[in-house]
Amino acid sequence: MNIVTRQQGNSTLVDVQGDIDLYNSPEVRKIILEELKEKKVARLIVNLTGVRYIDSSGVASLVEGLKVSRSMSSRFMLYGLSPAAREVLELSRLIRVFEVYGTEQEALQAK
Amino acid sequence: MAFFDSIGRNAIGGLAYVGGLARLSGRAAYYTLIGPFRGKALRWSRAFHQAMAVGVEALPILSTITFFVGLILALQGAYELRKFGALQYVAGGVAVSMTRELGPLMTAIVVIGRSGSAFAAEIGTMKVTEEIDALTTMALNPIQFLVTPKFLAMIVMLPCLTTWADFMGVMGGAVFGVTGASFTFGGYVQATLDALLKRDIITGLIKAVMFGAVITAVGCYEGFETGGGAEEVGRSTTSAVVMSIFMVIIVDLIFTSLFYLLGR
Amino acid sequence: MSTPDTEKTLSVRDLRVRYGEREILHGISFDVPRGETLVILGGSGSGKSTLLRTLVGLQPATSGEVWIRGQDIAKLSEEDLDETRKKIGLSFQGGALFGSMTVGENVCLPLREHTQLEESTIQIIMRLKLEQVGLAGFENYMPSQLSGGMKKRAAVARAMAMDPEILFFDEPSAGLDPIIAAGIDNLILKLKKAFRMTIIVVTHELASAFLIADSMLLINKGDIVAHGSREEMEKSTHPRVRQFLDRVPEPEVAEEMDYLQMLTGEAPPRAL
Repeated sequence: MNIVTRQQGNSTLVDVQGDIDLYNSPEVRKIILEELKEKKVARLIVNLTGVRYIDSSGVASLVEGLKVSRSMSSRFMLYGLSPAAREVLELSRLIRVFEVYGTEQEALQAK
Repeated sequence: MAFFDSIGRNAIGGLAYVGGLARLSGRAAYYTLIGPFRGKALRWSRAFHQAMAVGVEALPILSTITFFVGLILALQGAYELRKFGALQYVAGGVAVSMTRELGPLMTAIVVIGRSGSAFAAEIGTMKVTEEIDALTTMALNPIQFLVTPKFLAMIVMLPCLTTWADFMGVMGGAVFGVTGASFTFGGYVQATLDALLKRDIITGLIKAVMFGAVITAVGCYEGFETGGGAEEVGRSTTSAVVMSIFMVIIVDLIFTSLFYLLGR
Repeated sequence: MSTPDTEKTLSVRDLRVRYGEREILHGISFDVPRGETLVILGGSGSGKSTLLRTLVGLQPATSGEVWIRGQDIAKLSEEDLDETRKKIGLSFQGGALFGSMTVGENVCLPLREHTQLEESTIQIIMRLKLEQVGLAGFENYMPSQLSGGMKKRAAVARAMAMDPEILFFDEPSAGLDPIIAAGIDNLILKLKKAFRMTIIVVTHELASAFLIADSMLLINKGDIVAHGSREEMEKSTHPRVRQFLDRVPEPEVAEEMDYLQMLTGEAPPRAL
């Protein structure tokens, strides 16, 4: 798994590449929470285009990110969910809890 | 013929039982030794809770029993000693009997009744409800998970309880000393200290550690040997108590003989 | 004998299990492809529970092989077997929840013991799992406070805690009322769809079996009677399959003399 962060206008993007599982989800969590808590970014967009499989610990890490973003009153968005990732979020009734977009463009332009 | 046959059978059964205990203790000891380096804080907290249950919660009943045992020892000793006008030796008699023998033994008996039986019941119930199998399928070794914290707790708590039992026994003896043998309280304590050797206390504590290991091994072994059905748990609990008392006496005999031979 | 295909999540080759003199399984072979649901059907005493216990490594095989994720579990060291066990989940018939822990602690236990996840992440996973089995908000209950159906669902949540690749169910609907049982079937279907889990269910409930199975295995007295897709089983003309599916009881003792001999204890012992 590989994680890269980049700046695009007033948004910070986190590109995740590879599967997110029990062993590397702490890394995803660490980077997301760091951006939100320490760098206090206003808009954090997680790019999951390169993620085929995300397990429960990955979902839980995203939930933590969402929770922290609310307490910091910043935006937390996801895009590029694979059908499998979408199923996982649907099964846990989280698909409507997150701000989910289809493409990077949609996420960047979201009001 | 049938008589010898049954002796042989019992001897083999007994050896198999001791073998089972040794195997269980060996594996628990292995996990106790490597556990702290690989394990997690959770295991320490389980051992701590276990130690509270084994130790602290046993204090009221243990204090009462050993206080009375100390008093009884003083009375029995005085019965003989007054024939020789040697009532002043009551303090030493009580102190040595308590620290070398009755302190560890009474502690063991109380702990068997409270904890040895509870270990067998806990593990036996978990066996019957498939919780042991659940641990295994979750890649949690039942011995490491259940037995190791108990071993740690018992090996630490039994000497502590025994020390307290020794103290309470001396206090019980002091009641007779002050009321029946014209000691002052301070004088009784002084006589006790004069009579006691460091060796008396240490041999008692070594026994206590061994008793702790034996009680844990028997209680857990009986639990794991529980067959199917709730009534089997009752049987395991009972035999845990009976076997623990038996094994404690055997270990006591072995170590007392050993100390006797070494002490010459 | 061919080496099992590694694409198959689970392969069983000529598996025999014996308790003392009595052989319970007489050489069973089958494969389960990744992401499929296999239902193992059989009456009481058919050997299906022994088969399940052998598959998860609780009961050693007398001979034959069980391959899980491309490894023969009989040849694994205790440590490697534990690594495999972390990838499988088993939901026990009676739940087998740890009575000394809350429902939430039960679900958290494997995560706390086996992963380096933060406690806050573990708590969220635990709530997610309980939500998925319909037990949201029950994390602080003790198992003894739950009904039978809730215990089973909590057990499923615990079995799923580590996101296993293979999930085993022992009699998931036994002893439950039809509505709760249907809920468990539904959950199995959802899990299969969302997590692409390989699911193995041991049951004697036909309705449930036909709802969830991709393939079915009928075993009787330790032998495979039939193995095929749902449709193949439905159309099967095999007498044992028909007997099981049509719920025909075992034939009565045929001859009166046999019966009399059996009653008086003079009959020779039946061959197993």
